[in-house]
Parts: sequence; C-alpha cells; structure tokens
Amino acid sequence: MAAVPVTCVRLTTSMHTTQIVGRTSTMKLVPMGRVKSGFPSLRTSRFQISCSAKPETLNKVCEVVKTQLALASDSVVEPDTKFAALGADSLDTVEIVMTLEEEFGISVEEENSQNITTVQEAADLIEKLVEKKNASEPA
Amino acid sequence: MGASRPQKLSGIQKQVLSLYRGFLRTARAKTLENRAHIESLVSAEFRKNSELIDRKNFLHIEYLLRRGKKQLDQLKTVDSVRLSSTNVELSDTKQQSSG
Repeated sequence: MAAVPVTCVRLTTSMHTTQIVGRTSTMKLVPMGRVKSGFPSLRTSRFQISCSAKPETLNKVCEVVKTQLALASDSVVEPDTKFAALGADSLDTVEIVMTLEEEFGISVEEENSQNITTVQEAADLIEKLVEKKNASEPA
Repeated sequence: MGASRPQKLSGIQKQVLSLYRGFLRTARAKTLENRAHIESLVSAEFRKNSELIDRKNFLHIEYLLRRGKKQLDQLKTVDSVRLSSTNVELSDTKQQSSG
C-alpha cells in the first residue's frame, strides 16, 4: 500500500525537472541567437561574445542613426547593418559619431571613429568609453 | 554595395573628415542658434564640394583644406561672428566658381 504512492511522486518530480530544463534551454536560444537553422549553441556563444553592448545602447544608437540619416521611423536598422548600406557617406558617419559623442557624453578618438561602420561597432565602442568614463570619474 | 566597399580612407580623405569634425566640434561651443547655422552651412559646403570636385584633384582639395583650416581657426578664436565668417565662405566659393 505504501509503496505505490512513493513511486508515483518520484515519477512526477522527474517529469517536472526535465520539462523545466527543456524550457529554459529553448528560452535561451530563441531570443539571443535568432537562429532558424544550423547550430544554435554555436551561434549563441559567438553572439554573446560579439554583443557586449547593452540593448539600450544599441537602441539609442539606432535612433541616432535614423534621425541623422533622415530614415523613416519605421525602417529597421539592424546592429550589423553598415552605415554605408543605409546610404551614409563618410561625412554622415562623422556626423553620426559626433552626435553619439554628445548623446553619451563621451569623446571618440579620431582613429577609432574611422573604424566604426556598423551600429554594433558603434555601440561596443560606446560601452567601452562609457565604462572608462565611469571608472575614472568617482576616483 | 556598402558591405563590399573597403573602409580604407586615403590620407587626404582623413584630413577632410578631420576638418569636418573640427568644425562640428567648434560649433558645439556656440549658442544653439549659431550652432545650427554653422552646422548647416559647413555641412552644405562639404557636401557640395564632395560632389563638385574630382577626387583626384588634389591641388584644389589641398587648397580648400588650407582655407578651411584657417576659417576653423578663426571660428575658434572669435566668439560668435557667425555671419561674417559664413559670408566669407559663401563669397569665396562664388569667386571660385565664376573665376
């Protein structure tokens, strides 16, 4: 009599744990990598490394790029999109970087600003500079 | 199109961009109204010349670079003579295109 309910409990708990594990792993994969096929685990790890910038920074950079290039507000600017592909010339890029400097209260060195060609690159550099600024200020 | 374009800039291109950056930086120190004025003028001037002048016409580009640097220095030292400095710029280009 006593043995039956015990096995029942064991079964359900193990079921639960596997379900939870399965759920969390898919939760991780879908939003991070946005991968439809291929090797999701590989793609996500690569994505995490290259995407050091926070989503807020990325969004802000996208907004600045949109206003600077006078793009429609509903147009999609992906982090990997090159400024040149959006119709920006080198003068536009200078303007974008200058506006970003003001938005984030940082100063981008000239050598660095010429290496920025995508939203992702801009956001990564901004995060680095903002961190540096925050680290030096309280001291 | 843009993805395949090499991002390497020539020395003179870097100089032009650096001058442009200098103008925009200097404009930040001015009042809001003057700043907008300077920015629109400078941007129009650079864009116009970028289309007007052949990219191999180094003599002309170098001349414009020198002139721009002088104008930038002037803009830096004088507090807010936006109109006089921009008028000079405009009349200069008119002389050029006519002569």
